[in-house]
Amino acid sequence: MDLLSSADQLELARVAAEFFTEQSPIGAIRDRRDEPGAVSRKLWSAGADLGLLGLSAAEDIGGAGLDLEDEALLFRELGRRLVPGPFLSSVLGARVAALGGQADLARSIVDGEVLVGLALRRDGEPGGGGPVEGTFALFDTPDTRYVLVADPSGAGLLDTASLAEVQTTECIDPGTRLAYGRADGVVPLCWVPAEDDPIRSRGLVLASAVLVGIAEAARDLSVEHAKTRVQFGRPIGVNQAIKHACVDMAVASEAAWEQTLFAAISLRSGRADAEFQVLAANVVAGRAAIDNAAATIQVHGGMGFTYEHDAHLYLKRAHVIEQFFGSTRDQLDDLLSQEAAQ
Amino acid sequence: MDLDFTAEQMEFRDEVRTWLTEHAPTEPRPHLDAAAMREYDLAWQRTQWDGGWAGIAWPERYGGRGLTLVQQLIWYEEYARAGLPSVDACFVGLNHAGPTLITTATEEQKNFHLPRILRGEDVWCQGFSEPGAGSDLAALSTRAELDGDEFVVTGQKIWTSFAMIADYQELLVRTDRDGAKKHHGITWLICDMRSPGIEVRPIETIEGGAEFCEVFYDEVRIPVANVVGERDKGWRVAMSTLSFERGTAYTASQVRLSDTVEKLIDLARERTGPDGRRPAIADDELSRRLATARAEVAALRAMTYAGICRNLRSDTPGPEGSMLKLYYAEIAKRVARLAMDILGADGLRATSRWDRPFGWSGNYLYSFSTSIGGGTSEIQRNIIGDRVLGLPR
Ligand SMILES: Cc1cc2nc3c(=O)[nH]c(=O)nc-3n(C[C@H](O)[C@H](O)[C@H](O)COP(=O)(O)OP(=O)(O)OC[C@H]3O[C@@H](n4cnc5c(N)ncnc54)[C@H](O)[C@@H]3O)c2cc1C
Repeated sequence: MDLLSSADQLELARVAAEFFTEQSPIGAIRDRRDEPGAVSRKLWSAGADLGLLGLSAAEDIGGAGLDLEDEALLFRELGRRLVPGPFLSSVLGARVAALGGQADLARSIVDGEVLVGLALRRDGEPGGGGPVEGTFALFDTPDTRYVLVADPSGAGLLDTASLAEVQTTECIDPGTRLAYGRADGVVPLCWVPAEDDPIRSRGLVLASAVLVGIAEAARDLSVEHAKTRVQFGRPIGVNQAIKHACVDMAVASEAAWEQTLFAAISLRSGRADAEFQVLAANVVAGRAAIDNAAATIQVHGGMGFTYEHDAHLYLKRAHVIEQFFGSTRDQLDDLLSQEAAQ
Repeated sequence: MDLDFTAEQMEFRDEVRTWLTEHAPTEPRPHLDAAAMREYDLAWQRTQWDGGWAGIAWPERYGGRGLTLVQQLIWYEEYARAGLPSVDACFVGLNHAGPTLITTATEEQKNFHLPRILRGEDVWCQGFSEPGAGSDLAALSTRAELDGDEFVVTGQKIWTSFAMIADYQELLVRTDRDGAKKHHGITWLICDMRSPGIEVRPIETIEGGAEFCEVFYDEVRIPVANVVGERDKGWRVAMSTLSFERGTAYTASQVRLSDTVEKLIDLARERTGPDGRRPAIADDELSRRLATARAEVAALRAMTYAGICRNLRSDTPGPEGSMLKLYYAEIAKRVARLAMDILGADGLRATSRWDRPFGWSGNYLYSFSTSIGGGTSEIQRNIIGDRVLGLPR
């Protein structure tokens, strides 16, 4: 049993963090607010060149063949730095393509040539591999060729152009592009049943990792402010109302991170209670991200209410990611219907 | 990274499981009668010793098994799964006096006390808190004057669990009253509870428990040889005692909590819910709280595992133990309260947390202690804020 990161894993996280800090400063989200895509092609290609899209992909499609927990470490960094763009859906999309017999497509996703957005089901019955029907919320679809649909029964790729009545809407998060649209009997390009590979559960783990990153970044922002902002002649962090709020953020982040790792390892190693662990991770991570981001606005006072400050960006992204693959509310219902943990 | 136990560890788990089914006590713990409670807890500890299960992670030369915290964890997990009573009266000896002695005491002290703790011969209690020194422990004023090779101790302790049945006490006293700093001049002593001049009075707890006491010391003579660590420098020793208490000592409770949540889910499936027709689990509010509890105890367990992995690399747990204790206390209280909401008027029946299969109202009342004993949740937050996050004081 070992839940501690290895030197290689820490190095991987460090390299990714450095790259994002340099290439994708959080302020760029505000600068790109009115661009059609949340992420520039340049940044996307540079990230792909660094191997960020193929960490857990098989080597024959250009990936590094690492484990899900390694990828979770990367996605935590993405969350910490609010990196925009369809990373999560593209990484999962490459996996669906590879397992669904589309090796060339998988390779071009890992290479950064093809982007995959996320289609989140709002209504309609999951098709189980047949023609897809229903309305969907679409995340970061500009510039994408495909969208990922992940239902409990399996996951597939749909041609983005095949979606009908697509209506672009402004998302609360200026770092996410949102649209709503429908699929009228669209035949997926490929489909991977959940029994063959639990794509949606993988997505929940990686989404949890992003949420943990957001929770941690909100904690760090709060702690920094608590140390430096002076009122009544002393840093505000001397007051327990502020200090203890920071501590609650730290505990929530810590619990969510350890559980996310536990879930990643459970899923990767095929533990019998993997689904339980994954749902639990998503619940605690979703709460930690939203609660911490909300609390950091309070810790920052009036400044926290401004568009110029980053605090709201964490809150907004947290709400977006929390919806991925079903909200916390949905996960709670599923979690209760699981067998007890192992 | 992995969650796998080695073949050897799995074999260990099987052995534990088999042994527990064959040897665990079947009679309920006599929680209202102090003497009977002592007998019960010590007898069970002796049975564990005889079976070779005492002091799993303690050094072999003091009677332990010399295994790692992973085996200790496995023991706790199996112990909880078997629904066995917590080690209550033996808790202080096993979980903080023992570990403190192992890291700080003289060979003589260790050779005498450690095997006795493991063999179930002695009950230890913790004499830290005083009426004027709770959260502000360093304000303690029970004084010890040197007289030849003995200290003469006069003063009072309070909230001393199991003092009325204890043989020994980890006693914090003030040996220097002139120091400018209140953390200086404190000494950690081993106190023989049968010494003349000690008077123990019981205090009833909110759940009707009989383990709380106050202890009065009237010129109690304690040999200088009973100092653990250095004279006047007992604060550091006390802090390491507390870090054990906040670190690994709660592993058993953390593990037990997930079992409690599962029992509660079963209960909610069986019982009719607030609408009087459907089972409690069909109630949206109750079911989401139950699911949240499941998620949180899962995270608590992941944190516990991670903490053990970190502890395997360093002997004394760091302030991160406070995070675990804080998170545990919050969840334990929420879970206990949830049981009351599921039971409705049936939850009003007075029960004890020792009742089998489960005394929910006793458990609920007891849960209030989780955020007070061992340092309150507010104090844990101070510790984490100052020492983990580096916030200004
Ligand atoms: C079940 C149980 C078993 C116990 N067993 C033992 C034992 O065996 N031996 C022993 O020595 N002690 C024991 N204790 C005592 C325990 O350690 C103390 O109760 C605890 O440290 C709090 O001290 P206090 O009761 O004096 O409360 P106080 O310190 O008076 O605290 C009262 C309230 O004020 C808050 N508060 C105090 N200071 C601060 C601050 N600086 N910032 C914010 N809030 C603050 C506290 O959090 C609490 O809410 C036990 C307690 C319980 C509940």
